[in-house]
Amino acid sequence: MTFRLTCPVCGKRDVYEFTFGGQERGPRPAQEGLSAGEHFRWVQFRLIPGGPQREWWYHGQGCGVWFRVTRDPATNREVEGGGGG
Amino acid sequence: MNWLKLRRLWRPAPLKRHYDTVIIGGGVHGLATAYYLARNHGIRDVAVLESQYLGFGGSGRNTAIVRANQRTAENVRLYDEGLKLWRVLADELDFNLMFFNCGSLLLGHSEASVGAFRMAASTHNLMGVHSELLDPRQCAEVIPGLDISDRPRFPIQAGLYHPPGGIVRHDAVVWGLAKGAAERGVHIHQGCEVRGIDARDGRVVGVRTSLGDIACNRLGIMAGGYSTAIAAMLGIELPIHPLTIQAMVTHPLKPFLHHVFSSTAYHVYANQTLKGEIATGAHMDPQVNYTTDATAYYLKHQAEALVELMPALRGVRFMRIWAGLADMTPDMAPIMEGDLGWGGLYLDAGWGYFGFKSGPVAGKYMAEYMASGERPEVLKAFQLKRFLENRYSGETAAVMKYGHWD
Repeated sequence: MTFRLTCPVCGKRDVYEFTFGGQERGPRPAQEGLSAGEHFRWVQFRLIPGGPQREWWYHGQGCGVWFRVTRDPATNREVEGGGGG
Repeated sequence: MNWLKLRRLWRPAPLKRHYDTVIIGGGVHGLATAYYLARNHGIRDVAVLESQYLGFGGSGRNTAIVRANQRTAENVRLYDEGLKLWRVLADELDFNLMFFNCGSLLLGHSEASVGAFRMAASTHNLMGVHSELLDPRQCAEVIPGLDISDRPRFPIQAGLYHPPGGIVRHDAVVWGLAKGAAERGVHIHQGCEVRGIDARDGRVVGVRTSLGDIACNRLGIMAGGYSTAIAAMLGIELPIHPLTIQAMVTHPLKPFLHHVFSSTAYHVYANQTLKGEIATGAHMDPQVNYTTDATAYYLKHQAEALVELMPALRGVRFMRIWAGLADMTPDMAPIMEGDLGWGGLYLDAGWGYFGFKSGPVAGKYMAEYMASGERPEVLKAFQLKRFLENRYSGETAAVMKYGHWD
């Protein structure tokens, strides 16, 4: 089943209008003293236990905004009230 | 009924509270590892824990294609050994795995893919794997239904023909390995969901499951796309995205397609099953998830792509669609690792599109790794730390542009 995501501009739209931007990982770590390994860990390594997580999405086939949404990989659905912003 | 009794491939075993080795995941990788632990290393005190039923995950959801025409030498070597193992296994397990080495043809639709084919074929030939570059006319000789005209949006420019590839009945592999493992003393527990992993003094000591706690000395996480969720129980971060990939079959047709074919531009692979259906797989949904959601979007994509490549399929109907998980790594190569910061813990995951074709050979080497504690030479290219040292496998240079996560 396909599902809908809540775009902060356009409202609920079909997920195929969006591009997945990955898990929200907070700000990029400070460059000062950052080892290559720590940098690669931040870029590639994830903890995906299943359960609600904050994610980046891009409404490429709509208004073109990047936004964050709460979605649960265990259900593959947006968590109610987790959209926008 | 006596008849049923005779045909039973393995019997449920009592759940013990301690095993020497516990393997999470009752698919091809987990069962193969258990089988080889018992067969090659005499380690028979093994339990395979499966949260659903054997082969519920990727093992029963792939399109059954096997081949050894990957891009890099270390991968080709592994898959080539895996490809040669099917016949040996069928014999050893005394079970018909229905290996049909019909050959596979990968289609290229751009100048870049022709160049990539040429380089790939050189690697294969260097590794002793039969692989050759075909021009469009030769492609149509191998598979007469292909449209080699300039009518398709992305006309066929070349083919990478790999005669040793083919299809293997995936359920038979699961059942055969389960039978072989159980005969050698392995306990198989279905409906046993792992909910937590216990560790003490830097070692794993057991798992908490829906059927109670089970202690162990060694633990293998071999749960395909679900491996990231299980590793997360110990707080282990992995460079793996579990994504759903969809597959479908048409209604049965008379035999006309005698090879596996796939396309670099249309993100399609297809073969005709022994029942006559066209089994075909599609591209994947890009967002991480642990579901088996199939969508109308890819059903449509698949119909369009197949008809572009093989116009005679217009009007043929899809009967079923399903989805399974592909555990994608950034470099399209797997992670086989026993150095995860916890003693006794092993991981065999990140197989992406290639979990089925690699199953038995991966199990063979994971069993060696787990039995000896020493990393086999063949697995040195598949360490987790390569991602922290910027030493990615070159597998993404394969001609397929798989997706956006890399």
